[in-house]
Amino acid sequence: MKKTKLGEFEELVLLTVAALQQDAYGVEIKRELESRLKDTLSVGSIQSALKRMEDKGFLTSRFGEATQKRGGKRKRIYATTSHGRNVLEEMKNLRAGLWNAIPNLAYELKVLG
Amino acid sequence: MKPVQPPRWPLKFLRFFLKPEYLEEIEGDMEEIFLENTTRYSVRKANRMYAWEAIKLLRLSLIKNLAFLNQLKHVGMFRNYFKVSIRGLMKNPLSSFINIIGLSFAIGIFVFAYAFARWTFSTDQFHEHKYEVFLVTFTANRDGAEQLFGRTPRPVGELLKAEFPQIRNMCRVEDRRVIMKHADHVFHERMRFTDPSFLEMFTFPLKWGTATTLTDLNSIILSEPMAQKYFGEENPIGQSLRVIFSKDNSKEFKITGVAKEFPKALTIRFDFLINFENLRTADLDYKYDDWTAFVNATFIQVRQPSDIPLISQAMEKYKALQNEAVKEDWAISSFGFEPLATLHERSEYIRDDISRSSRDNYLSIMFLVGISIFLLALATFNYINIAIVTATRRLKEIGVRKCIGATRNTVTVQFLAENVVITFFALFVGVIFAYTFFIPGFEKLWSFNMDFNLLDPQLWIFLPLLLVMTSVVSGIYPSLYISKFQVVNILKGSVMFGKRNPLTKVLLGFQLVMACIFITTSIMFSQNNKYLSNRSWGYNKADALFAKVPDQAAYEQLSALMGQEPNVLSIAGSRDHVGKSHSTTVVHLPQREYEVDHLAIDANYFATLEIPLKAGRTFNDHEGSDRQAVIVNELLVKNLGWTDPVGQQFRMDSMSYEVIGVVKDFHNYSFSTVVAPTLFTLADKKDFRYVTLKARAGTELDTYRALEANWDKLFPEVPFDGSLQEDVWGIYFEQLGIYKLVWTVFASIAVTLATLGLYGMVRLNIEGRTKEFSIRKVMGAGLQNLTSSVTKPYAILFAITLVIGAPLGFAFGKWIIEFTYPYHMPITVSGVSLAVAIVILALAATVSTQIIKVLKANPVEGLKVE
Repeated sequence: MKKTKLGEFEELVLLTVAALQQDAYGVEIKRELESRLKDTLSVGSIQSALKRMEDKGFLTSRFGEATQKRGGKRKRIYATTSHGRNVLEEMKNLRAGLWNAIPNLAYELKVLG
Repeated sequence: MKPVQPPRWPLKFLRFFLKPEYLEEIEGDMEEIFLENTTRYSVRKANRMYAWEAIKLLRLSLIKNLAFLNQLKHVGMFRNYFKVSIRGLMKNPLSSFINIIGLSFAIGIFVFAYAFARWTFSTDQFHEHKYEVFLVTFTANRDGAEQLFGRTPRPVGELLKAEFPQIRNMCRVEDRRVIMKHADHVFHERMRFTDPSFLEMFTFPLKWGTATTLTDLNSIILSEPMAQKYFGEENPIGQSLRVIFSKDNSKEFKITGVAKEFPKALTIRFDFLINFENLRTADLDYKYDDWTAFVNATFIQVRQPSDIPLISQAMEKYKALQNEAVKEDWAISSFGFEPLATLHERSEYIRDDISRSSRDNYLSIMFLVGISIFLLALATFNYINIAIVTATRRLKEIGVRKCIGATRNTVTVQFLAENVVITFFALFVGVIFAYTFFIPGFEKLWSFNMDFNLLDPQLWIFLPLLLVMTSVVSGIYPSLYISKFQVVNILKGSVMFGKRNPLTKVLLGFQLVMACIFITTSIMFSQNNKYLSNRSWGYNKADALFAKVPDQAAYEQLSALMGQEPNVLSIAGSRDHVGKSHSTTVVHLPQREYEVDHLAIDANYFATLEIPLKAGRTFNDHEGSDRQAVIVNELLVKNLGWTDPVGQQFRMDSMSYEVIGVVKDFHNYSFSTVVAPTLFTLADKKDFRYVTLKARAGTELDTYRALEANWDKLFPEVPFDGSLQEDVWGIYFEQLGIYKLVWTVFASIAVTLATLGLYGMVRLNIEGRTKEFSIRKVMGAGLQNLTSSVTKPYAILFAITLVIGAPLGFAFGKWIIEFTYPYHMPITVSGVSLAVAIVILALAATVSTQIIKVLKANPVEGLKVE
């Protein structure tokens, strides 16, 4: 578990990339996350998360097509690697396990309180 | 339509710091978001958002490796450079000493100039509402020129406050001289009558008490120095002070507040504050709605500085009201508003305003910066010269460094790094100089405190800048010069380094020229001081003394008592007094109007002060007969172009006057004030405010004591206010002394730097020629031969610098004396000749120490070198 080092925000970004599939490039990821979190995010935070995860091997990327809207600059389309997906899966299982443990925990806390 | 483009600066910023491989993607993303934003918001907002996003992209994972991060791998090299430069410093203590001391003097003065500038620019900036508080001013045509006045017609303040909801606060300020009585002590004091909002508009927090108590007519608020003067360190709240406004008119006030110590740099301050309404008590004739009379100042505080144009527009009707009330002579052209934040810069150009001007300080800053740059240049030249000459010693080192792979750039960087080390030491010593010597010395001379603090964050931006600038300026040429040589030639030994670099001579010559200029100026200042202290004031100041009296009765009593003193030769009464006060009057001639200084005096006045008469007669001692007569000074005659002044007539205050006499020009105020056209009239006895006495020569001090004793006998309730006429210019002569001292300090530093530089040069030159001198001595050379061969390389240089330096020094000294003093000595070449003599002496002394060293040296030792 320890070696994966996936932060909370990074996990959200990674999930968004996985969800968006072919549309997963910077602005779209930002838009999607903003609408889900109901909060504004900076380009910097998204980009640094993407770059960090690419370095860690959770993501790969390739250049997409250039559009007029972007002043002729190409998009970079991100995709999750299998390692990335494994880590996501791991996180999900971990959390599910913890969720299952909650009722007991809450009960005990009540007794203590 | 052209599509909207993202703003250029943030884009450049992005391109500068982002990793190039990420640039296309992120730039594209940013542009897409930007275009989307332009459809949603205004273009300006989108631009702002773009810039903000760009700043937020500054993240470690996105920025490229900056140059300095790359350099980290060179740390080892820099450590080596550092070690080499420390060893170099230790090995050549003489040149290190010259370099470091010279630079640190200059840096010390720079730091001092910085501290002074910071102090000046901070003036008044502590006021919380400095951008909302405005002084109401007006412009009026006087003597054919538009002038700005700081006082206000009395009703304006209240009318403005009532008319404009945008004006949050208004306060009027009226200063009056009063007598303050506490227990048995009486003092003359300056009382400020003001509206309670004064303490809201100006940020003067209280140490004790509450500011709102000023609404109470019986409250008085003190400044901290005044509280100390009357009550020492104890808290005086609740104590009372009796304020004597005039004879038989006084009022008891209760102290309800003491202000905290004022910040050091401010233009508006106060001693005592009482409610403005107290003017009714103080001055029974005071009318608040009188358009023909003025208050000293009116301040308004608006809600928004942008409200001012609106208020200005409405001032037209007040102008009409004002101009209806006053005579045509005093009509005003318009009202205006001066913001508090910049009042200290503008005060110089506002007449009769209550704030202090800082224009002199701005001049001083420029002067100081100029001087520090010159001194820094002198010190830098020393550094460059010594570096070039000593380069020979480092030839092998450079050769080896280049052999094992150093490029020219590496060597340049090495020398610059060494320079930073030296400058760093100099900076350290310089700050110590400034902190322990220049700043306290200057503060002591002018008796003020500029609140200099070593923890000031701006200082720590300034100092590194100074460090980098100085080390680059002084180091760039030597390091380029030294790194230039080919390694093969160095190691072959065929390079003759430094001996014949013409630049060293040019720089040395420049230093000597500067020394010439500084010394000449300092001598001229000291000569001029001597001249001014002996210059005649235009009347006999030595035997005269005077006292201020409150009214005619006091005058009669005091002059009757003084008349019995055997040493008093003559007594005069007057409304005004030379050196103390005068009024201003407009003279109406058929063809022109003319503003002059006006003194109202009695018939004995000229005889008492011995103001010499040039033509006509003085006033007769008959009450009434000379009521319409005036006596004028020579300048007034000259300016009006009268060939036959006696008998000329003109109108003044709607009465006709005739000139009966002309007196020689005299200095009413100190030599820093230009003599003004002046006229005298007879004063009404009921207006007498001064008693002037002439004592028998040599007894003026006894007479002064007698005057004071008589006063205390007559009026124990009123403090004595008089002095010897010689003291009437206050600290003028002390100030002259300070100018001289400042110039002497600068000149000494300049001469020291130049001679140090010369000493270093000659010394190194001789060391390099040890063998030559030894051979000469072995061959039988004597004093004459050795002297000529030591001096030869410098003789021509000295001659040239003196030929250039002397006239330059003369011209500069003449210019600065004429610029500083309206009255100065006739400028002669004596100052510059003395300066040249001093320079020659310094040169001779420097060179002769080296000649003696050569003479004493044992030639055998010299030949054994290497």
